[in-house]
Amino acid sequence: MHFFRVVKWIAWKDLLSEYRNRENISSMFFFALNVILIFSFSFSLDPETLKEIMPGIIWVAFGFTAIIGLGKSFLIEVNNDCMEYFQCLPVPKGAIYLGKFLGNLLFMLTVEIVLFPLFVLFFNLTLLDQFLPLLLISTVATIGLSALGTLFSALTVQIRAREVMFPILLLPLSVPIFIGAVEATRGALSGDPLSSYQHWIELLGVFDVIFVVVSFWIFEFILDY
Amino acid sequence: MVATRFIGWLRRFEKWFGFVAAILIAAGLYTGLVTSSPDYYQGEVVRIMYVHVPFVQTAMLSYFTLFICSIWYLWKRESVVDNACHAAAGLSLFFTAGGLLTGSIWGKPTWNAWWVWDPRLTSFAILFLTLVGYLMLRTFLEDKEKGATFCAILAIIGFIDLPIIHFSVEWWRSLHQPSSISTRGISIAPDMMVPFTLMGVGVSILFAYMLMVRTQMLYLQHLLEAKQGRLLSEGQFE
Repeated sequence: MHFFRVVKWIAWKDLLSEYRNRENISSMFFFALNVILIFSFSFSLDPETLKEIMPGIIWVAFGFTAIIGLGKSFLIEVNNDCMEYFQCLPVPKGAIYLGKFLGNLLFMLTVEIVLFPLFVLFFNLTLLDQFLPLLLISTVATIGLSALGTLFSALTVQIRAREVMFPILLLPLSVPIFIGAVEATRGALSGDPLSSYQHWIELLGVFDVIFVVVSFWIFEFILDY
Repeated sequence: MVATRFIGWLRRFEKWFGFVAAILIAAGLYTGLVTSSPDYYQGEVVRIMYVHVPFVQTAMLSYFTLFICSIWYLWKRESVVDNACHAAAGLSLFFTAGGLLTGSIWGKPTWNAWWVWDPRLTSFAILFLTLVGYLMLRTFLEDKEKGATFCAILAIIGFIDLPIIHFSVEWWRSLHQPSSISTRGISIAPDMMVPFTLMGVGVSILFAYMLMVRTQMLYLQHLLEAKQGRLLSEGQFE
């Protein structure tokens, strides 16, 4: 089968099953909503301080969302005994990884786009004129996060205590993504021109390429077991 | 076969590594703590450098060993190489923790803070967390071969990630003093250089010695488990 057709079908399968049961997106969304609510009543802040810590709040919420959503990515495959089929498929294993990665990326982005209006609502922000730069930053950062998350989901799904191990492995290694995303978001929220935080977005782009390529290459070893 | 020969080789040479490490570290500690002069700015405090810097260097050396062994394992699938990976990870955690601890103690009098978010400190903290994750992953995976493969993958990803973390934090903020030994030359007084070198080489050899002993231990444990499993299946134990 053609490589990109495999990628497309794997991603399509995930999207279709998500469309039918809406389990993953709804759990990610309501979890993030809880996080935002807790943040909004634990910090009653003046607008200046809020501007200072807002990027952190946004990315902590997105990070938790990633843990909830990405961790379950391969769980459905194990529960339905599909891992064996993946192992037997006569296709490059990297294509399976890319398909799952694309599916996860779309779920994460959907949730993030829905969450932005909630930040406006609960924290009294004005994001409308900064929406496009914020969307760009979220997309670039989420690519890296999904790349690592998909890989670690496949790695931890077959072990005991997977709920504990997934964040323990994912969070330290995704620190550079969080640093880049928070700094770029800070620039966007303060209304600076794109050129003043463009280097952070470029840096995130470089991380994305590295993480996707390495995970793509290494995924084959995981699927062997 | 390869494993038996390798373990035999380790047995023959390990004593010598231990012996040389003990002598070098004793000499390094004596010259560092007694005979070398205190620093012009930092005074006696600087003496912790003779422990801190070798620990940090050895932590990096041990993680590099773990990385190389992990690639080797994925390539050849020798169980003794996996034992070496496991040993190197434990030692790397030990030296990383030691480096963080001594660095923190050194940081208090010189920077007036136990901890700052500087590139090197952040990378080391993340290295520490990655290694803890690595060792936890090992305990949670019952299937030995699967555990070995997954841990090797984690070690490789972590190794690729570390320079990225370092680089990204460097862009973010910086306070740590630059390396004293670089391509621009050496900026350390000669009487400080002697204990520095002795300790650096001594702790590295100590690491090699510990790695040899620990790899043998893990290998023997592995053999014992295999043997017990075989005897159990033959019904010799009830």
